Amino acid sequence: MSSNRIMTVSRAISEAIAQEMRSDPNVFVMGEDIGAYGGIFGATSGLLGEFGDARVRDTPISETAFIGAGVGAAMAGMRPIVELMFVDFFGVCMDAIYNLAAKNIYFSGGNCKVPMVIMMATGGGYSDAGQHSQTLHATFAHLPGLKVVAPSNAYDAKGLMTAAIRDDGPVIFMFHKGLQGLAWMASPEGAATELPEESYALPFGEAKILRPGKDITIVAISMMVHHALEAANALARDGIDAEVIDLRTLVPLDRKTVIKSVAKTGRLVVVDEDYKSFGLTAEIITSVAEENPSYFKSPPRRLAVPDVPIPYSRPMEQFVLPDAADIAAAVRASLGKAA
Amino acid sequence: MTDIVVPKGLWDTQKTPEGIVANWFFADGGNVPEGATVAELMVEKSTFDIAAPNAGRLHIVVAKDGVVKPETVIGRIDGV
Repeated sequence: MSSNRIMTVSRAISEAIAQEMRSDPNVFVMGEDIGAYGGIFGATSGLLGEFGDARVRDTPISETAFIGAGVGAAMAGMRPIVELMFVDFFGVCMDAIYNLAAKNIYFSGGNCKVPMVIMMATGGGYSDAGQHSQTLHATFAHLPGLKVVAPSNAYDAKGLMTAAIRDDGPVIFMFHKGLQGLAWMASPEGAATELPEESYALPFGEAKILRPGKDITIVAISMMVHHALEAANALARDGIDAEVIDLRTLVPLDRKTVIKSVAKTGRLVVVDEDYKSFGLTAEIITSVAEENPSYFKSPPRRLAVPDVPIPYSRPMEQFVLPDAADIAAAVRASLGKAA
Repeated sequence: MTDIVVPKGLWDTQKTPEGIVANWFFADGGNVPEGATVAELMVEKSTFDIAAPNAGRLHIVVAKDGVVKPETVIGRIDGV
C-alpha cells in the first residue's frame, strides 16, 4: 500500500527498524541516547516505547565495549543495530569494526557470520567543528568486509536500512545529519519523501539516475546529491543538460551505471563531502578510466574537502564544503565555458 | 471542518513562550487518516508530534517554520 505521508529520513529509518524488530525477535538496537531520547538525530525515535529496554538498550559512553558486544551478539545469532552516534567517534572502537566485524567471516572460513548494522551520523555544514562534521566515506569503504550505504532521501533510507538489517554481513549505515529532517537543523527539499507504509528492501550496489542528461555526468552521494541537483537545475537554464547520479551505496559500488553514463556524455564531475585525496572521487574517475579513457572528452573533475579538517568557523567551513555553485562552475569549466 | 489545535499546556509557556512548526508530514490538500501524525512542533530543542483529530483533507494554516503557541490552530481537516 502506498502512502501520501511525507516522511523525514529519521522517521523512515526508525520505521524500517521497527518493522524488522516486529518480524524478527533477534533484531535489537543499542547505543548512546538511543532509548528515551530516540537517538540524537532521531533514527531510533519511538522504538523504546514499543519494544522496551531489553531490545532498545541505552549504553554508557564506551564505544569500544558496545561495538564489540554488537559483534559478539551478531556472531551468536542476533541481528544488532548499533549506533555509533557520530562517524567521527570511530577512533576508539575501530578494532571491533575492522578487525572483528569486517574480518571474522574470513577468519572463520565462512562459519561465523556477523549480521550487524553499525549506523552513524555524517556530515557538516552547521559549525560543529572537526570531530563532529566529517563523512569519512572512504575510510570505511576502503576496508574489505564492510558494506557502506549512504542514502540521500527518506525512500532510499527506509529500503536500505531494511536491507542492511537483513544482510548477513556487517553494514555501515551512514545517515547525513543535514538530511534527517530534524526540527533544529534545516534539510533540503527532496530529503523527505513519500514512501510505502509496508516494509521493503532496496538492493545494495544500484545507483540511481535522478536526472537524465546528455552533456555531462555529475556523480554524488548523500548530501552532495542535493547540491548536484540544484546545480543541474541552474545549468539547465543555460541550456546545459547534466545527468545526476546518486550512488546510494559505496560498497558495493555501481561502477557500471557511471561508466555507461560517461560513455554517453563524455564528461564527468564527481562530488563528495569527504576529504579529496585517496577517496571516492578518485575511485569513480579511475573506474571510468580503467574501462576506457577515450570516453573522456575533457579531463574529469572532482570536488571534495581540500584535505583539511572541517573548520569550526562558519565562513571557513562553508568555503571548504562543495556546494551547488562549485559544482556548476566545475561543469562549465569541463564544458569549456566561462563561469 | 475540524481544527488541528496545539494542545493547551503542551509546554511551559512561562519558560518558553513560543514554538514553531518543524515539519508537516502530509502535503496541503492531502488526505490524512484519523490519528496519523500530521505535524511536528519544536519548542527549544524538544519536539512534539501532533495527531490528526479525524480523517479527511488537510488544510495547512501555519506553514513549516511558522510560530505557534498552545491553542494555536495550525491546520484544519475537511471530513470525508
